[in-house]
Amino acid sequence: MDDIDAMFSDLLGEMDLLTQSLGQDTVPPESVPTISKEVNFSMDFADLNESLHELEDNDLDALMADLVADLNATEEKLQAEIQGLKVPSPPPADLPPPPIGLNTHSVSSHAAIPSSASSTSNRVSTSTSSATSPLPPPPPQAAKPTMEEIESQMKADKIKLALEKLKEAKVKKLVVKVILNDGSSKTLMVDERQSVREVLDNLFEKTHCDCNVDWSLCETYSELQLERTFEDHENLVEPLSAWTRDSENKILFQERGEKYEVFKNPQNFYLWKKDKKALKDIKDKDKEILIQENFCGTSIIVPDLEGVLHLKEDGKKAWKQRLFQLRASGIYYVPKGKTKSSRDLICFVQFDNVNVYYGKDFKNKYKAPTDFCFVLKHPQIQKDSQYIKYLCCDDAWSMNLWVTGIRIAKYGALLYSNYKTSEKKAAVSAVWTNRSTPSSSSSSTPSPTIKAKSQSQANGHVPKPQSGQDFGNVLPPPPFEVLPPPPPDPFLPPPPPPLAAKSCAKRHQPTNFPHHPQAVDNLPPPPPTPPTDDLSETPPDFLPPPPPASGFGTLPPPPPLHANSLPPPPPPASFEAMDQSLPPPPPDPGFLPPPPPQPVFTGAGAPPPPPPPPPPAAAAPAPRAAVRPTGSVRKMPPAPPARTTPSLQGGDGDFMSELMLAMQKKRGNQ
Amino acid sequence: MAAWDLSVTVEDLGSDAPPVTLSVMSDLHVGGVILKLVEKTQMKRDWSDHALWWEQKQQWLMRTAWSLEKYGIHADARLLFMPQHKPLRLGLPNGITLRLRACFSSPVFHTVIGICRMLNIRHPEELSLLRPVEEKKKKKDKNSAEEIYDLTEVPLSSVSRPSLYNGMPAHFADSPQMEAIYKMLSVTQPPPAPEVIAKQYRPASVVDKAHINGRWLDSSRCLMQQGIQENDRLWLRFKYFAFYDIEPKYDVVRLTQLYEQARWAILLEDIDCTEEEMMLFGALQYHISKVSQSEPQMQSSSAAMDDLESALQCLEVKMEGESSSASEMLDIMTAPELNDYLKIFRPKRLTLKGYKQYWFKFQDTSISYFKSKEESIGEPIQQINLKGCEVAPDVNLAAQKFLIRLLIPAPEGMNEVYLRCENEQQYAQWMAGCRLASKGKTLADSSFQSEIQSIRSFLAMQKSNSGSHGNVPDDESINTHSLVSPRYHKKYKAKQLTPRILDAYQNVAQLSLTDAVMRFLQIWQALPDFGLSYIVVRFKGSRKDEVLGIAPNRLIRIDLGVGDVVKTWRYNNMKQWNVNWDIRQMAIEFEGNVNIAFSCVTADCKIVHEFIGGYIFMSTRSREKSDTLNEELFHKLTGGHEAL
Repeated sequence: MDDIDAMFSDLLGEMDLLTQSLGQDTVPPESVPTISKEVNFSMDFADLNESLHELEDNDLDALMADLVADLNATEEKLQAEIQGLKVPSPPPADLPPPPIGLNTHSVSSHAAIPSSASSTSNRVSTSTSSATSPLPPPPPQAAKPTMEEIESQMKADKIKLALEKLKEAKVKKLVVKVILNDGSSKTLMVDERQSVREVLDNLFEKTHCDCNVDWSLCETYSELQLERTFEDHENLVEPLSAWTRDSENKILFQERGEKYEVFKNPQNFYLWKKDKKALKDIKDKDKEILIQENFCGTSIIVPDLEGVLHLKEDGKKAWKQRLFQLRASGIYYVPKGKTKSSRDLICFVQFDNVNVYYGKDFKNKYKAPTDFCFVLKHPQIQKDSQYIKYLCCDDAWSMNLWVTGIRIAKYGALLYSNYKTSEKKAAVSAVWTNRSTPSSSSSSTPSPTIKAKSQSQANGHVPKPQSGQDFGNVLPPPPFEVLPPPPPDPFLPPPPPPLAAKSCAKRHQPTNFPHHPQAVDNLPPPPPTPPTDDLSETPPDFLPPPPPASGFGTLPPPPPLHANSLPPPPPPASFEAMDQSLPPPPPDPGFLPPPPPQPVFTGAGAPPPPPPPPPPAAAAPAPRAAVRPTGSVRKMPPAPPARTTPSLQGGDGDFMSELMLAMQKKRGNQ
Repeated sequence: MAAWDLSVTVEDLGSDAPPVTLSVMSDLHVGGVILKLVEKTQMKRDWSDHALWWEQKQQWLMRTAWSLEKYGIHADARLLFMPQHKPLRLGLPNGITLRLRACFSSPVFHTVIGICRMLNIRHPEELSLLRPVEEKKKKKDKNSAEEIYDLTEVPLSSVSRPSLYNGMPAHFADSPQMEAIYKMLSVTQPPPAPEVIAKQYRPASVVDKAHINGRWLDSSRCLMQQGIQENDRLWLRFKYFAFYDIEPKYDVVRLTQLYEQARWAILLEDIDCTEEEMMLFGALQYHISKVSQSEPQMQSSSAAMDDLESALQCLEVKMEGESSSASEMLDIMTAPELNDYLKIFRPKRLTLKGYKQYWFKFQDTSISYFKSKEESIGEPIQQINLKGCEVAPDVNLAAQKFLIRLLIPAPEGMNEVYLRCENEQQYAQWMAGCRLASKGKTLADSSFQSEIQSIRSFLAMQKSNSGSHGNVPDDESINTHSLVSPRYHKKYKAKQLTPRILDAYQNVAQLSLTDAVMRFLQIWQALPDFGLSYIVVRFKGSRKDEVLGIAPNRLIRIDLGVGDVVKTWRYNNMKQWNVNWDIRQMAIEFEGNVNIAFSCVTADCKIVHEFIGGYIFMSTRSREKSDTLNEELFHKLTGGHEAL
């Protein structure tokens, strides 16, 4: 009982924080529903608890079902409310298309709720279609009472939903200032689920850079004189949270050739013993073979590095030479008077808990023999300490060998898939630049999260073999558990599709068609996604795919936000968990030359509207970032009070309230 | 043309029976000879598998359309009429001997394909047969008691086109005995007793390791031609360390046997590794044996579930299992906690060692402590987040010492904290919590209970190890000496090993059986010396023996004196290689006018030739090409002059 009370008060606290932050956010409509929720919540809590006690085992299932159903109902109501108040974004399926693109901003923090809710509905409703109601209550037993499996699956799904929502409620966000090459800076909001890859994509949009694979985010430690590039798969928020509050550390957005050098010139790492000239002349085919051998087999092979390095002894000033060896399991050294045989090696460090950093100007700082130093330390250590391992190489070349080797040992296959992803990204944006179309919106598309599916989408060159048509990548083949048709349908009354398609003779048009929802797995309404897919491949006389598509999104990506004066585009990938398809940034109405989406529906032949209209609810993950970009705060969450940070947004406590609602209903029925 | 007498020994008549004499003419074809022979013996049986073996020429007369004249057979020829498939005692990588009928008439490469088909091992090209190392014959009685699994009754026809039944080839579904054999093939063996490991032959040097490679059979000749007799013992081993397209779903037997071969390679120090790596291998073996014993039906069900899903499953089990009231569910939904009185000690300079007792609360990934239970509502004295920290046990059962040593990262460095628990139960819980928290998982994680279990079972291990050695090891207490090579038997006592293996174990404890096996293989493959087959050679122009290491992608030259790799040549730079069969010398040409030549000391040059050609063959496999094995290409690459 104590626990529950404590938890409850916690939740209340969070609610307060949330409302506060909402207030700051100047999103008035938002707070209204939230607060009302809160009130309910507090009133019924005791009852909830009681009634939970009364529950029998077999009621549980029903509870969950109700829970989800009610939850969906709540979402709907909530969305309706929001809509009524101001924002259009998540229209229930049968509503007429709301005027999108007007002011999507304010939904932002609520996007979380609908998205997860409807995502489950997708998953749960094996038999229902969302054509009638986008968020069908999952009939727990009714749908398929036959198979136990299905039941248990559904149950699992429900619990999953609940857990997801719990997680959702505690998403931490930071406002991060990133320093660019020219010394200027960009400020963006990063949520704790976002990977560095997504942040990079975000920055690509903001900076209009060439998106090549070398672009990296680096952290620099001013006090320790360290720096390292983040790996693309890392979450950005976590390492930043380790910084002390008064730290002078910085985040840089730079091209770092060494980041993926190993994939561009693997011979320099895997054949480093050969003479340099031979390495230079190596054939591309041989490079390919090296990558295949070392990164594509059952096991990742670490370059066999061995050499004398200078080691700064724990806490001492002197640097001592030792013969070190890199192995997949860690760095070892050969003890005095022993052979190099594996069994005699002494483990110097293993990589589970340390990151590798470059040291800057260590000759001065630590009297190192050279300036080519690298450091291994726990990411949380911020000050000089005996737990930091300082190593010094003879030259830059061997330092890069070691640092890269350690990264391969530590990250393994991830490194390669990161590279693959960013390579695709670069290729895609190259295509765009060549076409001299405004690239800003396009570049946001390839999904940041690396999943097999999204990869093939992001790279138009490998369309999934499918019905022998070229537009394979436009319409992912419907998987088995075909889900209800994409919610966007209703809101896009099927215009004479062929007409629409033809009318805008843009070749890349088809690529912008909404995807089948299932492509997105748990994302309910897949917004038009990777418009960047290989455009040239899509036949011009392309016939619209099954889903009464519409020309929506077929426009040449309108330069939604050119000026920095505008609220920065939303982090395109704020929903990394949701997978790939994130809508291009919602165009700012005032800025958009193309007509607002509406015309599309009225006049089918009209030039299709800009891509962005994030169709339904979840598609509007959008402009959350826009909320408070201005303050160039280094670190948003004021203090780390263990659990919550004020910048917390999202459906706080919604699970609890859902439970409560469920119970209310239950009791009502009895 | 005159008729003459041809005498043929028919094996089926018994060894004492005199040869059957046929009157033949030189233009009679072999098929006709067999026909006459069968008529003459007047035995009614299936002769379809029989063929004629020409003893002097060591040759099967497989072309039944060829005439005796064409074969060059005269009256003095000693011919033997016998089945092509004969029983063989096959030592598997897991150390178990299997009796089965193998083809004695086709090239060994093909024979292996047949064997693998029977055993349900995909990609038979990676395996081959070798003559076993003679066992030290100390006591025969143990060998005779050895259980031999018998597959000789399997009809050959059913093997040629195996259909799956319950996930295994249909011929294994025939009887409980056969199913037991399949289980032996597809489930890993329990860790061997330390004495068994110690008794086995262990190569002490690279040269020792080279000797084993002289034992491989020639893939392009048949068993009969290589002097293998019925019921002889041969080993089936993975020969080419290029494992293609491993698919746990279809490769149950293949993976299991590969794991066994790797495990033994590690235990017998056939491949070198560091102490840390050995501990990890030990931990994985422990885990694999534990999981495979508890879940024999893993194969289908436990395909890697993602974290959340398994968490959910677990949650569900809890919800259904225990008569769960909804409040319990609520408890589960809201992270559980640990609360207890523990003693804490923070070693600092100039402080005396002293433990102070506080009321501790474990929540999420943090520990906080309070003066007493009563004051636990307020602000804690301190809260320690364990995420990313290092956890080490410091336990002495005899002294009832249960310490958890924490190394907690902080901006200033790592802080050392000791937690002292009162008893095993408390220790297991808090230790499990700390371990999970260090990896960023909370107590709500599905693995919490199993973590507690594993800590307790390791404690139990320490208990039994400190007691007498004689007690029968049940599955809960494996002697840790069974998990590491004999070198560590000398270096550490079993109970010293326990905490180290436990330490490594925490990183693998949550793996499913398949994942654990895969992890084992990955770490094995990541060892620097992985995939090297050694041959002692003498390079042209050199006066001393050196070692040639043959790897899947390269050749290396090792100086015996120093033990260092002197030179590396990669196959993709190789232009051609030749064998001078007369002087038994290999000559290889690489791009850039690099030529090497050597003669082989510890193995026939055919073996070396076959290794190199074999690896080239392995690299030609690709998904685009059809799945059928290109036998012809293999022989082209490995056959040598006989193939031409």
